[in-house]
Amino acid sequence: MPLATAVWTETDRMPSAPVQVAERARSLDRFLRGIERRALRIAELSTHHREDALELVQDAMLAFARSYADKPEDEWPPLFHRVLDSRILDFHRRSQVRRRWRVWFGRRADENEEDPLEQVADPGDPGPMLRMADGQTRAALEAALRALPLRQRQTFLLRIWEGLDVAQTAAAMGCSEGSVKTHLSRALAALRPRLEDLR
Amino acid sequence: MNERRHAAEPGDPTPSDARWAELACRVLDESADDLDAATLSRLHRARLAAIETSRTRRAAVWAWPALFAAAASLALAVLIWPAAQAPLDSTPDSVLAAGDLELLATDADLALYEDLEFYAWLDTQQSADG
Repeated sequence: MPLATAVWTETDRMPSAPVQVAERARSLDRFLRGIERRALRIAELSTHHREDALELVQDAMLAFARSYADKPEDEWPPLFHRVLDSRILDFHRRSQVRRRWRVWFGRRADENEEDPLEQVADPGDPGPMLRMADGQTRAALEAALRALPLRQRQTFLLRIWEGLDVAQTAAAMGCSEGSVKTHLSRALAALRPRLEDLR
Repeated sequence: MNERRHAAEPGDPTPSDARWAELACRVLDESADDLDAATLSRLHRARLAAIETSRTRRAAVWAWPALFAAAASLALAVLIWPAAQAPLDSTPDSVLAAGDLELLATDADLALYEDLEFYAWLDTQQSADG
């Protein structure tokens, strides 16, 4: 064997533990930096409040870093959304419990609570064309997305906006691939009349 | 729309839906890009905290083998030390045991040994009287 091939060079050596830790930290930073804004918007569309959304995203980042940072990087997107999706579901469960208690004790809803009437389609709505003319395309889109049931909205955002495939979306939402297809089909059917005239 | 968009699968938007779906993604992208400085700062801090959590955890994982090796070495030392000391301590014990056996074997002298303190006291009394 030639001596040159038998000698270990500096580049051949396995990276030391601190170097591996630092490289992993840099990868994690890149991943979280790339996903954090969209994650916040996804959470905000579900919670309707930025502060709540920030807390959910912060919590999801910590939990993801604690539990899944050692996984291969190509598995990170669905895993991160799995963590975030479970936090969003927990948030909705807690909100429902709070609402039930308020109804039970006959209390009036807080002033900052979402008005249920806002979830109902406005018969006097001028339609997407006029809203767009008013420069409210974003508001129209957000209103349409918020009007969707939670699972349909999550499916639309993960599948269409985040670009996860069916299997990854199913993994992120903890449901079957068939459920993903059903949710997406229903979401598109609900969004179509409200958004198809967007320009 | 995200660059990681996959090929069309069953249930995906139809070509007629694709136009408004792409526009919706573009509007959502813009909304994500337009976040205010305070929100971006909060996200930045959250990201740093998550990275620190991961770094600490990974450092701890790397430290476990070293800690285990140190603990194993210590345990080995604790187990080996008495065994190494045993031959050195056995010599005086065996000498003492032999002396005890000789003492026990001579019944006549046993009473003398049991009353040794009395004889010593008697000796001091006699010396004082003499």
